[in-house]
Amino acid sequence: MATLDHPELRESLNNLLKTSRPRLERVLRNFEVPPEDAEDILQDAQLTLLYKWDKVRSPESWLIGTVKKKCIMYWRKRRGSLCEAVDTAILDLIALPQAPEQERTELTCDLNRVLAKLSVRCRSLLKLRYGLGYGPTEVAEQMGYQTSSIRKVTNRCLAALTRQLLAVGFHVEQPIVEEPHDG
Amino acid sequence: MDRHPSPELLFDFLESRVSRRRNREVVRHLLDGCPVCSALPASRALGFEYATAFAAAEQDLEERQGALARERAEAPEQLRELAVQPFYRQWIMVTDSPRFRTWGFCELLLDACREWGFQDPPRALQTARLGVEAADRLDRERYGEARVNDLRARAWATLANAERILTDFRAAEKSFARAERLLSEGTGEPLDKAFLLLIKASLFGHQQRFAEAFGLLDRVEGIARRCGDRHLCGKALITRGFLAGMAQEPELSLQHLREGLQSVDPECEPRLVVAACHNLILGLTESGHVREAADLLERSRPLYRSLGDRMNLIRLTWLEGKIALGCEDLGRAEALLLEARSLLAERGLGYDAALLGLDLARLYARQGRGAEMRRLAEEMLPIFRSRAIRREAVSALIVFQNAAALERVTLGIVQELSDSLLDSNNSAPGLRFRDPV
Repeated sequence: MATLDHPELRESLNNLLKTSRPRLERVLRNFEVPPEDAEDILQDAQLTLLYKWDKVRSPESWLIGTVKKKCIMYWRKRRGSLCEAVDTAILDLIALPQAPEQERTELTCDLNRVLAKLSVRCRSLLKLRYGLGYGPTEVAEQMGYQTSSIRKVTNRCLAALTRQLLAVGFHVEQPIVEEPHDG
Repeated sequence: MDRHPSPELLFDFLESRVSRRRNREVVRHLLDGCPVCSALPASRALGFEYATAFAAAEQDLEERQGALARERAEAPEQLRELAVQPFYRQWIMVTDSPRFRTWGFCELLLDACREWGFQDPPRALQTARLGVEAADRLDRERYGEARVNDLRARAWATLANAERILTDFRAAEKSFARAERLLSEGTGEPLDKAFLLLIKASLFGHQQRFAEAFGLLDRVEGIARRCGDRHLCGKALITRGFLAGMAQEPELSLQHLREGLQSVDPECEPRLVVAACHNLILGLTESGHVREAADLLERSRPLYRSLGDRMNLIRLTWLEGKIALGCEDLGRAEALLLEARSLLAERGLGYDAALLGLDLARLYARQGRGAEMRRLAEEMLPIFRSRAIRREAVSALIVFQNAAALERVTLGIVQELSDSLLDSNNSAPGLRFRDPV
């Protein structure tokens, strides 16, 4: 495959960045990516395009698709740490030895209210985790899951719980189906 | 926490930048079901401004673009410098000299392997080994870890392909495994995956593992569809056509080759297009559609010429001879076949020349030219016997030899010998291209 000369490549790339900018901006806004992180995403996608320019046959859709994919990966990573933070906080709150009785009752009540909005499966799992203090292996045994898959199921339930608390970065699951790229 | 957490605290919480105590306080507040704080991150997104992000990314791109252009401009000279050295010296140059640790050079080296794969497979193997070394030594900070892993995966896949061409299938499988591992640590770019799957399908085809090969090609076509890459889809179809030919499915092979040729971009990969047209023309000739084959050959002739590859031009002459034979233009057929045979012999391709002898044998059998047939058999048979061929092919050879001695060779005997030789030595190139990638 012929490689474009430097001036041609520069011109093609510049034109592409110019024309695709409104669409890229829309993608970043839809995915609610903060500007400081958007810079990394854009930079990485554009550099990969530069190095693989000769292999990519429709650069604009490639660029848009890649940026979308990177936004999804960005939130997947971020959501992981957010879910972990929520989980740690709830486990800490439940375990606080010096909390007055009323505070404990209120916490249980609030937690149950949030859990009630989740699916039966997640509700049962998280009640075992937070209500009865079960560890992952015990939860797996109790609910009939393989020990190897309980981590994945728990993470999904934690994501559902976190989604109830904060409306951020969770609506991005939907576009995965539309992705033009192979995962 | 009775009061709302400050927006700064909430954003720090989102970034996982708060203490464990603060983390607890924020989550406790959110468990209360506070609608204001729950919606705050999303409302913040409405005010995001990306102008600075675009400007910074573009500035970085501009700098890298200049550097890559310099690398690509220097790479052909570096490759020439390398090519004149013996292999051991090339190895030292690539492994010791930082000059050769550039993306541009590595890319060109891998492209050169592809070229050599068609013309000089042992050289392609050596070049692929250098490609692996060059890619392994690329600066990950400068080019990005994931991108370097993609290129390393491509280098290992290129090596696997060179090993496969030389029928070292075990080594090829190991190199593919290495390529796949590296690709899983790369950018996740689907086109790189498709490249690897395409050449792996070719390996499976040569190992007669056709079901697995076709399964991989399904995946390539899936990637091509999702990426809207019509050319890649055509390439997968052409590979499917080649493999169907090897799997003794001639009709299916013709169908896939036709479909593939409609999708690929000839300017992008002229060699692929010539190989596909060539096999299509040959398939049409062998299945009796000689007129259609002749028309297609006339349309394809400029492509053969523009590619200028000597071996392809010899194949073209051989193919023209076969078509002339199919059209009963026996005088022209003989002249073309003899010309192609002498060119093959000049290049030391004795086995191919002997295979071409079978087409001459058909012609002589038709004309009842017993003396020429006997002479031809004396030239061909020692070459076939020198190859490791199956028992059925040995039997067919004996029948042919005896019939030639008695000047009683029929078209049926020639066909039987031809079929058993093709079954017997699937890796022999002969007139048919066996490899689109």
